[in-house]
Amino acid sequence: MKIGRFVVISWRSTSDTPAGRPGANRLIHMHRSFERDVAALENIFHFTDEFASANKIGKSATFAMNLAIEELFTNIVKYSADSGNDISIHLDIAGNDLVIKITDFDVERFDITEWSKVDVDRSLEERKVGGIGLHLVRNMVDKITYEYEARTACITLVKHLEDLNV
Amino acid sequence: MFDISVTDDGDVFLSGRFDATQVERAREDLGRINSSCRIHFEDLDYIASAGLGVLLSVQKRLSNNGDSLTLVGLNNHIREVFKIAGFDQVFKIE
Repeated sequence: MKIGRFVVISWRSTSDTPAGRPGANRLIHMHRSFERDVAALENIFHFTDEFASANKIGKSATFAMNLAIEELFTNIVKYSADSGNDISIHLDIAGNDLVIKITDFDVERFDITEWSKVDVDRSLEERKVGGIGLHLVRNMVDKITYEYEARTACITLVKHLEDLNV
Repeated sequence: MFDISVTDDGDVFLSGRFDATQVERAREDLGRINSSCRIHFEDLDYIASAGLGVLLSVQKRLSNNGDSLTLVGLNNHIREVFKIAGFDQVFKIE
C-alpha cells in the first residue's frame, strides 16, 4: 500500500515550545497526501501518531485528532468518490493550538458546517446507524471552518492544547 | 490492529483500534451475537462512528427479542465518545 505522495516537515527549536510541553525539537508541521480510499486510514494513523509523538501531544488530543480526521476523511471518500485526486492532510502547531487542514481537490462544494445537528436524545428504536460522525467532530474540536474556491475544498480544525491533562 | 474474541461463556472482548476499516469484519463477528452479552472494552484503544454504528446495529437487533449488550471497561476517551453520541442512553455501560 502506498503511504503517501509526498511529505513536508518542519522543525522548530525548544525555545518556541509552548508552556507545559517542554522537550526536544518539535515537528511542528507535517503534510502528506493519501489515496482516496478508506484503507488509507492505517497510514493516516501512522502519520498522526508520528506527529503527536514528536510534539508530545497528549492522549486526549491525539484521540480527538484521529477521530476528527477519520470522520472527515471517510466522509470525503464516501461523498466525493468521483474525484481521482489524493486527499491532503496538514498538521500544524500554532501557539497552543493543534491545527488540522484537510484539502480535497477538484470536488463539488460540500460544507460540513452547514449540516443539521443530530438529535442524540432519540431512543434506540429511533436511532439511525450512521450520521453521528460529524456530530462527534463538532464536539471534539474547538473550531471548524470550511473554505471552497476553484473546486478545492479545505476543512480546518483547531483543537486547543492547553486543556490537555492526559 | 483490531481484534474480536469470544469466550466460552459468550463474553466478547474488543482490542486495538476499531476504525472504519474494521467495519465488515466487526459486522460479521458481532453479527453472531444472538442474546444478551457483555462486551469488554478494556483493551480497546479507539473507536469512531463506524464502530458505534456496528454496535448500534447489534443492539437494535437484540432489542427485538428483549435482549441487550452491556459494555464494560471503556477508557475515558471512548466513554466520552459514547456520551457525546448519546449512546450512553442506548447501551448499558458499566
